[in-house]
Formats: sequence, structure tokens, C-alpha cells
Amino acid sequence: MDLSLLTTEIVTVALACFVVALDLLMPAGEPRRALGYLTLLGLAGIFVHAFTQYGLNASLYGGMFRVDDYAVFFKQVFLAAYMLTILFSVRTADGFAPYTGEFYGLMLFSLAGMMVMASANDLVTLFVGMELMTITFFVLVGFNLGDGKSSEAGVKYLILGAASTAVLLYGMSLIYGYTGTVVLPEIAARLSASPAALVGIVFFLAGFAFKIAAVPFGMWVPDVYEGAPVPITALLAMASKAASFAVLTRVFLTAFADAPYNWPLIIAWLAAASMIAGNLAAILQTNVKRLLAYSSIAQAGYLLTGLVAAGPDGVKGIIFYTALYVFASAGAFAVVAAVRDETGSDDIAAYRGLARSSPLLAAAMTVALLSMAGIPPLAGFVGKLYLFLAVLEKGWFWLALLGFVMSMVSVYYYLLVVKAMYLGEPAGAPTADGCAALRWAALASLALTVLCGVYPTPLAALASRVAQNFFQ
Amino acid sequence: MSAGFPILTTILVAPVLGALAIVLLPREARQTVKYVAAFAMGTALMLALYCYFAYDFVRGGMQFTESVPWVPELGVTYAMGVDGLSLPMVLLTALIGFSAVFSSWGTEERVKEFFVLLLLLLIAGVVGTFLTRDLFIFLLFYELVVIPIYILVILWGSSKRVTKEYAGMKLTIYLLVGSAFLLVGVLALYIQAYPPGERTFLMEGLAAAAALGHLPESFQVPVFFLLLLGFGSLISMWPFHSWSPDGYAGAPTAVSMIHAGVLKKIGGYGLIRLGIAVLPLGAKYWAPAIAALGVVNVLYAAFIAISQRDLKYVVGYSSVSHMGFVLIGIAALNVVGISGAVANMFAHGVMSALFFALIGYLYGQTHTRNMDELGGLAHQMPYAATGLMLAGMASLGLPGLISFVPEFTIFVGAFARFPVLSVLAVAGIVLTALYTLRLLANVLFGPRQVRFDHLPDTGGPALVPLVVLGAVLVVFGVFPALLMKMAGSGVAPLAAILDGIALAARMGGGL
Amino acid sequence: MLQDYGAIALLMAVALIFPFIPLFVSAYIQTKKPTTEKLSTYECGVDTIGKTWVQFKTSYFLYALVFVVFDIETVFLYPWAVKFQVMGTFAFVEMLIFVAILVLGLCYAWRKGALEWQ
Repeated sequence: MDLSLLTTEIVTVALACFVVALDLLMPAGEPRRALGYLTLLGLAGIFVHAFTQYGLNASLYGGMFRVDDYAVFFKQVFLAAYMLTILFSVRTADGFAPYTGEFYGLMLFSLAGMMVMASANDLVTLFVGMELMTITFFVLVGFNLGDGKSSEAGVKYLILGAASTAVLLYGMSLIYGYTGTVVLPEIAARLSASPAALVGIVFFLAGFAFKIAAVPFGMWVPDVYEGAPVPITALLAMASKAASFAVLTRVFLTAFADAPYNWPLIIAWLAAASMIAGNLAAILQTNVKRLLAYSSIAQAGYLLTGLVAAGPDGVKGIIFYTALYVFASAGAFAVVAAVRDETGSDDIAAYRGLARSSPLLAAAMTVALLSMAGIPPLAGFVGKLYLFLAVLEKGWFWLALLGFVMSMVSVYYYLLVVKAMYLGEPAGAPTADGCAALRWAALASLALTVLCGVYPTPLAALASRVAQNFFQ
Repeated sequence: MSAGFPILTTILVAPVLGALAIVLLPREARQTVKYVAAFAMGTALMLALYCYFAYDFVRGGMQFTESVPWVPELGVTYAMGVDGLSLPMVLLTALIGFSAVFSSWGTEERVKEFFVLLLLLLIAGVVGTFLTRDLFIFLLFYELVVIPIYILVILWGSSKRVTKEYAGMKLTIYLLVGSAFLLVGVLALYIQAYPPGERTFLMEGLAAAAALGHLPESFQVPVFFLLLLGFGSLISMWPFHSWSPDGYAGAPTAVSMIHAGVLKKIGGYGLIRLGIAVLPLGAKYWAPAIAALGVVNVLYAAFIAISQRDLKYVVGYSSVSHMGFVLIGIAALNVVGISGAVANMFAHGVMSALFFALIGYLYGQTHTRNMDELGGLAHQMPYAATGLMLAGMASLGLPGLISFVPEFTIFVGAFARFPVLSVLAVAGIVLTALYTLRLLANVLFGPRQVRFDHLPDTGGPALVPLVVLGAVLVVFGVFPALLMKMAGSGVAPLAAILDGIALAARMGGGL
Repeated sequence: MLQDYGAIALLMAVALIFPFIPLFVSAYIQTKKPTTEKLSTYECGVDTIGKTWVQFKTSYFLYALVFVVFDIETVFLYPWAVKFQVMGTFAFVEMLIFVAILVLGLCYAWRKGALEWQ
């Protein structure tokens, strides 16, 4: 057994412990920003190290834990999401004193959970990783102590999350009971038509539809996104969704790929419902966090179309889109954090005149939102192109058409935010400019989003290679 | 010539470089910003003119080509090239872009941002759609222009009958939803044309696939419909036209000029380049419907234009009406009709840009666009009056000005196929004359009004659009061969395809 | 496979029956001399006054959580100790890491004042 395969996870956990320990040693009352930068540096190191894990394709613990290109890619996506988030959350985290150290520590633990999810090749490992992620998020969502909305969000997420976990676990137990194994490739070999298997697959899908916020299981999203601290909202939107997609794709394409059921159809309906409901509901929002919440439901719908395609092209679409959704969301949430820190509000009205007080942040927000809408030459366009090409290829004409039309409808509400930023005059109050780190996050998101849109070849080539993972 | 100087890329990059230079200038350098903008567009215009006159008719086809693989696995190539179809459009864009800079000389607010958005994104995006030979890059540029237009409209637009926010949003959503249909059509085409691994977004490649018979009629008919929805809403085909008058009314002068002058033409250009060249059977199936809708465009928009009092609405509906002629020319599906359509797009672009430039000037001086409140301005503004007269006369197709020959050609082409519809469309010219002459009479002529005496005539920078566009109207009117030869050479390669589908039995579209 | 389930069922049956055996045995052999004091709810301490549904001080929970640290430690240490000689250095280092993490948890609780009763 080669423990070096676990380096990313081990170092992440060690880093988390180190941050917590350092926090204990630092005198109370002193600023904890250094902890944030330390975390960032550590994550950057792990990110770079992860490149060496491409091409290993090794297994650990008797095939329960896989370090393949797919897992490594997703780990890097999580790491990128966390690095960007930490960049723009240092000031928000200062506001959590005296619990700033815990904030970073818990974030790292949730990251470790996601990494386990990305590598999990059996239902139990998967579940353990997911619980590590989810339980830390229960705490983090309610981290704004003294803010009723944050506590409400925490409790809501806890209760609904527990319920969805129960459904998921029940599904897993049925699959285990029917096939007698929890290891994904073996499930694939033993699965045949039976009511138990069907119910198991559906329950599994329902449990993860909750995590990725697909309609109708995404009803928790608006309230939780609105109440949670901005960095956590960002992580829920980017990393948690990405991790759940990593699992969902792996399980469906290895364990259930040959299941004698037309599960792509179920997923297509989920995707369609998410695209329609998410985009239409977002139109009515006046709070940017809620708007982004509904938009993230719609994004889950777009991503699900990649799973509908159930082939290398679809996986490639999911992988590519997940990465650039992280880039775009990081920019958007960085601006939300800046405005929130300065004005204490998330209303669209609070964004008035942002283009004058901070052209960079306004530009980053505009680019991020338009990338989510899929306007060229931004990355989102190429991502949607890959996703919808994949489903078109499999003959899902209506789904692709719906996806494109709904993306264009989404431009409407994204433009409402853009309009406020460019048209309105600042309402006299001090306007957001963010701290230096936050501006770096915004700049990075902007640059990556434009770059991946104008010249997608490097990322697309990597995604193509990674997508071959399940089809060799 | 392909290994030589990348002249087309330079046309594309000139405005972008200009905009980058402007970004680096300090906010206070308002005049310098304008000079840089004018210089950048001037460069682009010179290069476009050079291409236009250096184009080799004998050889025909795509010239000045450049090709760099862009996203190899998707078959996307950064491929540039112009032929007789796209070259008039490129020249038109450069002409109008250059004039638009001077029409915006009086901009007061946020000068820097205005020119950056206008030049960098809008003009570069529009010219890019015409320069590229790759469908992917085409879509990229096409959607690229929509968002800058939105920002330009909501920031510098004017709210008269509708608020500028409403106008901007309506325009944006119409165009984007149209483009969603277009996108699905294009992707379906891309998948159908070749098996995986050989796929390409190059328009020649797709046309070749059609020639090889990879695209059966049962595929072409629905896909052409999707393209028609997309390009049709762009060219303001009835019933997808309603964004156009509202959008122009809300937009600032320069945006109206570019939008009515060139952006709309992407619709017609796309229908020819993609619709007819790649999906000829689909085009044949839908041609009667297109022709019928074209006639509705001509007559319906002309009737509405007659009842408008706002100058921008008159010209806005007039442009919807003129696009009807273009649609009829395309639907004729013969070389004559299509080359007429191409030439008419150019003619209408110049004319409507001149119209909007002068209306913008009048509005800037008198602060009204209501026909009833204006009158006798020829006394105070002889230059502006000359310009409006030129544009107006071109609009109603006066021989000797640019649009006479193109419109005539369209009717010659269309009459062969749709005699009844063509006659109806010719009747539209009478209506055009009615509202155009009434506009000119109301605004320019009549007794001298003292309250306008203090207003200066067009002069200085504002004179540039008038001179440039007016000269084009006259020169291309007197020497129609300049335009017709170019358009004809662009359409000539379609002749084989058009002959091919003439034999195809089926023709439908409900008519 | 059915046999495996049979073994589980047997185990469950034994587990269910086993706790009842001492109860029955003690009920059978004990002597019964009830007094009022013995029959009251609380043999020791004081009778409750008012409702019993009251809020607990959160420090109770903190103690409970800290207890979990040691509890888990015991649960894992015991089998480790039994098999210690077989598993060798690797397991030793592993357990050291495990204990170190738990110690970090304890230090954390201590430092944050979870063990202080205010």
C-alpha cells in the first residue's frame, strides 16, 4: 500500500490541524489574517503537487479509494475554489473573531471530505467523505453568530441535509442488499433488473440531487445561500456542487452505467426542471445572494445535461464546466463579499454605482455573470457548447434547445445586476472596493474566465484526457 | 497571398488596439480619446478600402485568407477571408464605424468608457463576424456585440416613448433568444455534417458536406427553420421585428448607426452564407414563407412608419421595411435576386447610418425628435438638410443614388419566382416615398422658424459622417458596377447550388 | 449468502435475550422490603420542584463532547493494544498520530475554556 497516493488528503488534514494549533498558540485578540494566508499557501502547494498525480491511476485499500486522473482533476478544482475563496474571505473572516482560526480549520476539513469523495470508489468511503464535508458545512453555514438568518440557514441545512442523507443511505443500503457489495465496479457487474435496484438508484439520485441543488430537491438553496456567510455560500455553490457532481458522475458511469433502466431520462427531466425553475425564479429576486442561489440551481441543470449524455463527451462537458463555474462564481462571490463587507447588504440596490467606485469589481462581476449566462467570448459559452454538443450527439434535441433558450433568458436577471452597477449612482454610503486580496481574487476570476473562453484549448485538452477515465 | 501581411486581422485588431490605448489614457484626456478613436477607425477604413479595391474578381472566392488552428479538437479554426459577399459588409462596417466616431464627438458623459465600449467591443465584434470563415468564431463575435450594446443603450441612450432600460433589455433579450435557436441549429449542423474526429466549423467544410449529401432534406428543413428564427430576428423579420424601432429610439446615435447600418445585416449575411450555401434544400422549403414574411415586412412596417411622429421611429420602421426587400431577394433563390439583396444591404446600411447620424445631430440641437415640432430647418442648416435629402432620396430608391440598382435587381430576381408577392413589394416603394417625403417636408421645409435661428449647422467633426456617407451614396449610385460587380462575384459560386435545388421537387413552407 | 444472514439473525436473537437473563435472575432471587423512601422517584438527592423540562447549561454538552474524545480513544486503543505485537511499528506510528489528533482536540477544548465552569 502506497501511502504517498494519499498525500493531498493527508497534507490537507495536517494543514487543518496546524492552523487550529497555531490559532491556539497565537495570543487572543491579535489579527488572524496570517492564518488565512498560511492556508492559502498550503493549498497552493497541494495544488501544485497534485499535478504529479496525473497518470498514476492507482488504487488503495482494495479498490475502495482511487487516485485516477478524474479524481486528481476534481481535487484541483476544489483546491482552486478554496484558494480563490480564501483570497476574498480574509476580511469576512476577520469579522468572525475570536473564531477566525476555526473558520479556516473547518474549511480545510470540508475540503478533505471533498477530496475523499472525489477518490471514493465504494459507497461507504463515499459516504464518509460526504459526511465530513456536509457536517462541517452545517457548522460553517451558521458561522455568523448573532445573525438570525445565518442560524436559521444552519438549522435548515442541518435538518434538510440529514433527511436527504437518510434517503441517500437508504438507497445505498438497497443497492448493497441487492448486489451484496459496495465497491462500484462490482456493483456494475452484479446489477440486474429488480425493484430493489431501481428504488436504490432513484434514492441515490434523489440524495445527490439535494446536494447539487437540482429541482425539486434544491428548495433549501435560496434560504441557506442567503443566510450563510458569503465565503461559505461560495463554497456551497462551487466546491460542494463540484464534489457532488464528481461522485454522481463516477457512480452513474461506473456502477449504474449498464443498469437496465433508462436513467438518463430521469436525469434529463431533473435537468430540464432545474433549468426552467431556477432561471424563472431568479428573475424575481432582488437579493443578489438569492439570485445567485437560483442561478446555481439552473447551473446544476446545465451540468446534469452532461450526465444525460453518459459518454466521454458528456463527462468532458461536466469537467470543463465545473472548472469554469468555479472561476466565474469566485469572481461573483468576491464582489458580493466586498459589497457585503462595506454596506452590510446583499440587495441589488447596494450595487448601484459600483462601476464608478470600483471598475475592477464591477467588471469582474459582469464577466462572471455573463460567463454563467454563456455569453461568448467568456468561458461559460464554451462550457455550454461542450455540454449541449454532447447531448445533441445522443439525440436529446429538446434538452439542448431548452438549455440554450434558458441561458438566454438568464441574461435578463444577470443584466439587472449589471445595470445597477453601471447605471445607478452610489447612494452616498461608502462604496465597496474590497481589500487587496479580494481584488486579486476578482482579477484572477476575470482573467481565467476570459482566457478559458478565448483560448479553451489547454483546459479542454486536459478535460478530454480526464474524461477518458471511465471509458477505457 | 495567404502568407503575406495579415490584413484582415489588422482590420479586426485596429479598433481593439485603439481601445486599449484609450484604456491607458487618463480620464481627463477627452479630446485625445476621440483622436485615438478616429485614428484607429481611420486605419481600419483605409485597410478595408484597400481590400475592396485590391480584390481579384477574376479569381473570385475567398481572398486575403489567414488560417490558424484555434480549438483543434472541436475543429475550430481562426480562419479569416473575404469574398464578394462579405467584403461589402466589411467596408460598410468600417465606413459606419468611422462615421460613428465623429457622430459621437459631442459625447459629454463618460467619454472614455463610451469609446472603449463602442470601439473595442462593438465595431471589432461586428467586423469580426464578416471577416471570419469559421462558424464558431462567427457566433463568438456575434454574441460578443450584444452586451456592449446593452450597456451603451442604458448608459448613453435616451428615454422618449420607452425608457432606455426597457429598450436596451428588449433588444438584448430578443437578439439573445434568437441566437439560442441559431446556436442549436448550428450545433445540429456541426454534428450532422461529419462523423466525430473529422468535424469542422469552417463554413466551406460545412458547405462541402452538404454537397456530399451528408445533410438530407429531412434534416435541412428543421435546421433551416432554427437558423431562420435566429437570423430572422436579427434582420427584424416580421413578427420578430419589434425590438428594432424601440431599440433604435433608445440607443445613442452611434449605436443606432451601427445597429441599423451593419448589425442587422448579419442576419441577411448569415441567411445567404449559411442558409443557402449549406442548407439549400431547407432554404428552398422555406423560401415562400420568407418571401411572404418579407412582403409583410415591407408593407406592414411602411404603414406603421407613416403613422409615426418621432423621427427615429420613422427611420426605425423604415429600416424594418427595407429589410423586407432583402428577405424577398434572398427568397428568390436565384443569382440575380441574392446579389441584389447583398447590394441592398450595403445600400441600406449607408443610408440608414446617415439618417441616424443626422437625426442624432438634429436632436442634439433642437432636443426634440417630434416631426410636428420641427420645420423649416433647411433655412438654418443647409448642410444637414442636404444630407437628409440624400438619405431620404436613397431610401425611396431614386435612380442615381445607391439603392436604386440594388432594389431593381431584387425585383428582377424575385419577379421570376414570386410574381404576385413582388408586385405587392413594389407597392411598398410608394409607401416608402410617402413617409420619407413627408418626413423631409415636415422637418426641412416650410416657413423659417425663428426659434431655430440660433442653431448652428453641421460643421467640424459632425460633418464627417455626412461627407463620407453622402459621398458613398452618390459614388456608388453613379457607378453601380462598383457594388454590383462585387456582390455578383460573391453570389456567383452559389449558382451551382441554386441550379441544383431548382431541380429538387419539393417546395412547401405552407405556401 | 442466506447463511451469512442466518448468523446475523442468530447473533441478534442472542443479543436480545441476553440482557433479560440477569433481570429475571435478580427478580427471582431478591428479597423485597419496600419502604416509602425506597419507592420515591429519587432514592438519593432531592425531589424535583417545578417542571423537569428546563434548559441545561451548555457546559454539560461541552463536557459530553470532551468525554467523546476519551471514549473514542479507548474504543480504538483497546483492540490496538490486543493486536499490538502483530501489527508492528506502522500501527504504533498510526496510533501516535491518532492520539496526537485527539490531544489537539483536548488542547483546543481546554484553551477555549470548555473545561471551565462559569
